[in-house]
Amino acid sequence: MSITIESSRFGRVEIDPATVIEFPEGLIGLGGSRYALLARDAGTAFLWLQSLDDPALALPVTNPHLFFADYEVKLTDEDVERLGLDDSTAVDVYVTVKSGESLEDFTANQRAPILVWGGQGYQIINQTPGCELRAALFAGVDVAPAAEDTA
Amino acid sequence: MLRITRRAGERIMLGNDVIVEVVEVRGGTVRLAIDAPRSLAIYREELWIEVMRENRAAAQAAGPNMPDVEVRLKDPPAA
Repeated sequence: MSITIESSRFGRVEIDPATVIEFPEGLIGLGGSRYALLARDAGTAFLWLQSLDDPALALPVTNPHLFFADYEVKLTDEDVERLGLDDSTAVDVYVTVKSGESLEDFTANQRAPILVWGGQGYQIINQTPGCELRAALFAGVDVAPAAEDTA
Repeated sequence: MLRITRRAGERIMLGNDVIVEVVEVRGGTVRLAIDAPRSLAIYREELWIEVMRENRAAAQAAGPNMPDVEVRLKDPPAA
Protein backbone atom coordinates (compact mmCIF):
# COMPACT_ATOMS: atom_id res chain seq x y z
CA MET A 1 0.00 0.00 0.00
CA SER A 2 1.49 3.32 -0.98
CA ILE A 3 1.59 6.48 1.10
CA THR A 4 -0.05 9.53 -0.45
CA ILE A 5 1.10 13.00 0.51
CA GLU A 6 0.04 16.41 -0.70
CA SER A 7 3.42 18.01 -1.25
CA SER A 8 3.34 21.81 -1.44
CA ARG A 9 5.93 21.63 -4.17
CA PHE A 10 4.86 18.65 -6.24
CA GLY A 11 1.17 18.23 -5.53
CA ARG A 12 -0.10 14.72 -4.87
CA VAL A 13 2.74 12.23 -4.61
CA GLU A 14 2.46 8.47 -4.16
CA ILE A 15 5.28 6.98 -2.14
CA ASP A 16 6.24 3.35 -1.88
CA PRO A 17 6.64 2.65 1.87
CA ALA A 18 9.75 0.58 1.07
CA THR A 19 11.50 3.76 -0.04
CA VAL A 20 10.82 5.70 3.14
CA ILE A 21 13.94 6.72 5.04
CA GLU A 22 13.82 7.13 8.81
CA PHE A 23 15.95 9.94 10.20
CA PRO A 24 15.97 9.19 13.93
CA GLU A 25 17.56 12.59 14.62
CA GLY A 26 15.81 14.45 11.82
CA LEU A 27 17.85 16.76 9.65
CA ILE A 28 19.83 19.35 11.55
CA GLY A 29 17.46 22.13 12.57
CA LEU A 30 14.51 20.73 10.64
CA GLY A 31 11.55 18.88 12.04
CA GLY A 32 10.24 15.46 11.18
CA SER A 33 11.89 12.09 11.01
CA ARG A 34 10.42 10.43 7.92
CA TYR A 35 11.51 11.38 4.43
CA ALA A 36 11.31 9.86 0.97
CA LEU A 37 13.85 10.33 -1.82
CA LEU A 38 11.97 11.49 -4.90
CA ALA A 39 13.39 11.50 -8.41
CA ARG A 40 11.32 14.23 -10.04
CA ASP A 41 13.44 14.84 -13.09
CA ALA A 42 14.82 11.62 -14.48
CA GLY A 43 18.22 12.07 -16.06
CA THR A 44 19.32 15.00 -13.94
CA ALA A 45 21.68 14.85 -11.02
CA PHE A 46 19.13 15.97 -8.44
CA LEU A 47 16.82 14.17 -6.06
CA TRP A 48 14.44 15.54 -3.47
CA LEU A 49 14.23 14.61 0.18
CA GLN A 50 10.53 15.10 0.75
CA SER A 51 9.36 15.16 4.35
CA LEU A 52 6.42 12.88 5.03
CA ASP A 53 5.67 14.72 8.25
CA ASP A 54 5.58 18.20 6.70
CA PRO A 55 4.26 18.39 3.12
CA ALA A 56 5.80 21.86 2.75
CA LEU A 57 9.32 20.61 3.46
CA ALA A 58 11.49 19.24 0.64
CA LEU A 59 15.22 19.65 0.08
CA PRO A 60 17.06 19.11 -3.15
CA VAL A 61 20.04 16.80 -2.77
CA THR A 62 22.62 15.28 -5.05
CA ASN A 63 25.42 12.75 -5.14
CA PRO A 64 28.52 14.83 -4.28
CA HIS A 65 30.81 12.58 -6.29
CA LEU A 66 29.14 13.76 -9.50
CA PHE A 67 30.31 17.32 -8.80
CA PHE A 68 33.37 17.16 -6.55
CA ALA A 69 36.18 14.92 -7.75
CA ASP A 70 37.92 14.65 -4.40
CA TYR A 71 34.94 14.61 -2.08
CA GLU A 72 35.36 12.44 0.98
CA VAL A 73 33.37 11.93 4.16
CA LYS A 74 35.28 11.45 7.39
CA LEU A 75 33.42 10.77 10.62
CA THR A 76 34.56 11.18 14.19
CA ASP A 77 35.15 7.90 16.02
CA GLU A 78 32.16 8.82 18.17
CA ASP A 79 29.91 9.10 15.12
CA VAL A 80 31.17 5.81 13.67
CA GLU A 81 30.33 4.09 16.93
CA ARG A 82 27.04 5.94 17.38
CA LEU A 83 25.83 5.05 13.91
CA GLY A 84 27.05 1.46 14.11
CA LEU A 85 28.99 1.71 10.86
CA ASP A 86 31.83 -0.51 9.77
CA ASP A 87 33.86 -0.89 6.59
CA SER A 88 31.37 -3.32 5.09
CA THR A 89 28.39 -0.96 5.33
CA ALA A 90 27.37 0.34 1.91
CA VAL A 91 26.34 3.93 2.55
CA ASP A 92 24.76 6.31 0.05
CA VAL A 93 26.03 9.87 0.44
CA TYR A 94 24.04 12.97 -0.46
CA VAL A 95 24.63 16.67 -0.02
CA THR A 96 21.96 19.34 0.21
CA VAL A 97 21.80 21.80 -2.67
CA LYS A 98 20.87 25.46 -2.47
CA SER A 99 19.48 26.79 -5.73
CA GLY A 100 20.48 30.13 -7.17
CA GLU A 101 19.46 32.38 -10.03
CA SER A 102 22.10 30.95 -12.33
CA LEU A 103 24.15 27.77 -12.16
CA GLU A 104 27.12 29.71 -10.77
CA ASP A 105 25.02 30.57 -7.73
CA PHE A 106 24.13 26.98 -6.83
CA THR A 107 25.93 25.70 -3.74
CA ALA A 108 26.16 22.38 -1.92
CA ASN A 109 26.85 21.79 1.73
CA GLN A 110 29.97 19.62 1.95
CA ARG A 111 30.21 20.03 5.71
CA ALA A 112 26.99 18.22 6.59
CA PRO A 113 26.36 15.33 4.20
CA ILE A 114 23.42 12.97 4.58
CA LEU A 115 24.26 9.29 4.93
CA VAL A 116 21.63 6.71 4.02
CA TRP A 117 21.75 2.97 4.48
CA GLY A 118 19.27 0.26 5.35
CA GLY A 119 16.28 2.56 5.32
CA GLN A 120 17.75 5.01 7.79
CA GLY A 121 19.47 8.33 7.38
CA TYR A 122 21.65 10.70 9.38
CA GLN A 123 22.99 14.15 8.64
CA ILE A 124 26.47 14.23 10.10
CA ILE A 125 29.36 16.68 10.35
CA ASN A 126 32.10 15.85 7.86
CA GLN A 127 35.55 16.03 9.46
CA THR A 128 37.43 16.22 6.15
CA PRO A 129 39.51 19.42 6.18
CA GLY A 130 38.56 22.03 3.59
CA CYS A 131 34.92 21.05 3.32
CA GLU A 132 32.77 24.06 2.56
CA LEU A 133 29.34 24.93 3.87
CA ARG A 134 28.56 26.63 0.57
CA ALA A 135 30.68 25.04 -2.14
CA ALA A 136 30.06 26.27 -5.68
CA LEU A 137 28.25 23.28 -7.14
CA PHE A 138 29.04 23.64 -10.81
CA ALA A 139 32.61 24.95 -10.50
CA GLY A 140 34.27 21.63 -11.27
CA VAL A 141 31.96 20.19 -13.92
CA ASP A 142 31.12 20.60 -17.57
CA VAL A 143 27.41 21.02 -18.17
CA ALA A 144 25.35 19.74 -21.07
CA PRO A 145 21.58 19.86 -21.55
CA ALA A 146 20.01 16.61 -20.40
CA ALA A 147 19.73 14.14 -23.25
CA GLU A 148 16.33 14.01 -24.92
CA ASP A 149 14.41 10.92 -24.04
CA THR A 150 14.40 8.95 -27.28
CA ALA A 151 12.25 6.10 -26.04
CA MET B 1 18.82 29.83 32.28
CA LEU B 2 20.64 27.99 35.03
CA ARG B 3 24.16 29.23 35.73
CA ILE B 4 26.61 27.14 37.72
CA THR B 5 30.18 27.96 38.70
CA ARG B 6 32.63 25.06 38.39
CA ARG B 7 36.38 24.69 38.76
CA ALA B 8 38.73 22.53 36.72
CA GLY B 9 38.13 18.90 37.59
CA GLU B 10 34.54 19.48 38.68
CA ARG B 11 31.56 18.07 36.83
CA ILE B 12 27.91 18.64 36.24
CA MET B 13 25.32 16.03 35.39
CA LEU B 14 22.51 16.51 32.88
CA GLY B 15 19.87 13.99 33.86
CA ASN B 16 21.22 10.65 34.97
CA ASP B 17 23.61 9.78 32.21
CA VAL B 18 25.27 12.86 30.77
CA ILE B 19 28.36 14.13 32.56
CA VAL B 20 30.20 17.31 31.57
CA GLU B 21 33.59 17.84 33.17
CA VAL B 22 35.61 21.03 33.15
CA VAL B 23 39.03 19.67 32.25
CA GLU B 24 41.02 22.85 31.97
CA VAL B 25 40.53 26.59 32.20
CA ARG B 26 43.19 28.69 30.57
CA GLY B 27 42.90 32.30 29.48
CA GLY B 28 39.56 32.68 27.75
CA THR B 29 39.27 28.99 26.90
CA VAL B 30 37.54 26.19 28.75
CA ARG B 31 38.17 22.58 27.80
CA LEU B 32 35.25 20.25 28.49
CA ALA B 33 34.95 16.48 28.52
CA ILE B 34 31.51 15.08 27.81
CA ASP B 35 30.47 11.60 28.78
CA ALA B 36 27.11 10.87 27.19
CA PRO B 37 25.19 7.89 25.85
CA ARG B 38 26.40 6.79 22.45
CA SER B 39 23.07 7.69 20.87
CA LEU B 40 23.43 11.38 21.69
CA ALA B 41 24.86 13.56 18.94
CA ILE B 42 27.09 16.36 20.19
CA TYR B 43 27.72 19.51 18.14
CA ARG B 44 29.56 22.77 18.46
CA GLU B 45 26.64 25.17 18.51
CA GLU B 46 27.92 27.58 15.86
CA LEU B 47 28.32 24.75 13.35
CA TRP B 48 24.89 23.32 14.20
CA ILE B 49 23.36 26.75 13.55
CA GLU B 50 25.18 27.16 10.25
CA VAL B 51 23.99 23.77 9.04
CA MET B 52 20.44 24.51 10.19
CA ARG B 53 20.51 27.74 8.17
CA GLU B 54 21.85 25.96 5.09
CA ASN B 55 19.19 23.26 5.39
CA ARG B 56 16.43 25.82 5.65
CA ALA B 57 17.85 27.94 2.86
CA ALA B 58 18.13 24.87 0.62
CA ALA B 59 14.50 23.96 1.32
CA GLN B 60 13.32 27.50 0.64
CA ALA B 61 15.49 28.43 -2.34
CA ALA B 62 14.42 25.66 -4.64
CA GLY B 63 11.51 25.77 -7.03
CA PRO B 64 9.93 22.53 -8.17
CA ASN B 65 12.35 22.19 -11.07
CA MET B 66 16.06 21.71 -10.70
CA PRO B 67 18.38 22.44 -13.64
CA ASP B 68 17.75 19.96 -16.42
CA VAL B 69 21.40 19.31 -17.17
CA GLU B 70 23.90 16.51 -17.23
CA VAL B 71 27.24 17.09 -15.59
CA ARG B 72 30.66 15.64 -16.12
CA LEU B 73 33.68 16.22 -13.90
CA LYS B 74 36.33 18.38 -15.59
CA ASP B 75 39.00 16.61 -13.63
CA PRO B 76 37.76 13.11 -12.75
CA PRO B 77 39.62 11.11 -10.12
CA ALA B 78 41.99 8.45 -11.41
CA ALA B 79 40.13 5.14 -11.68
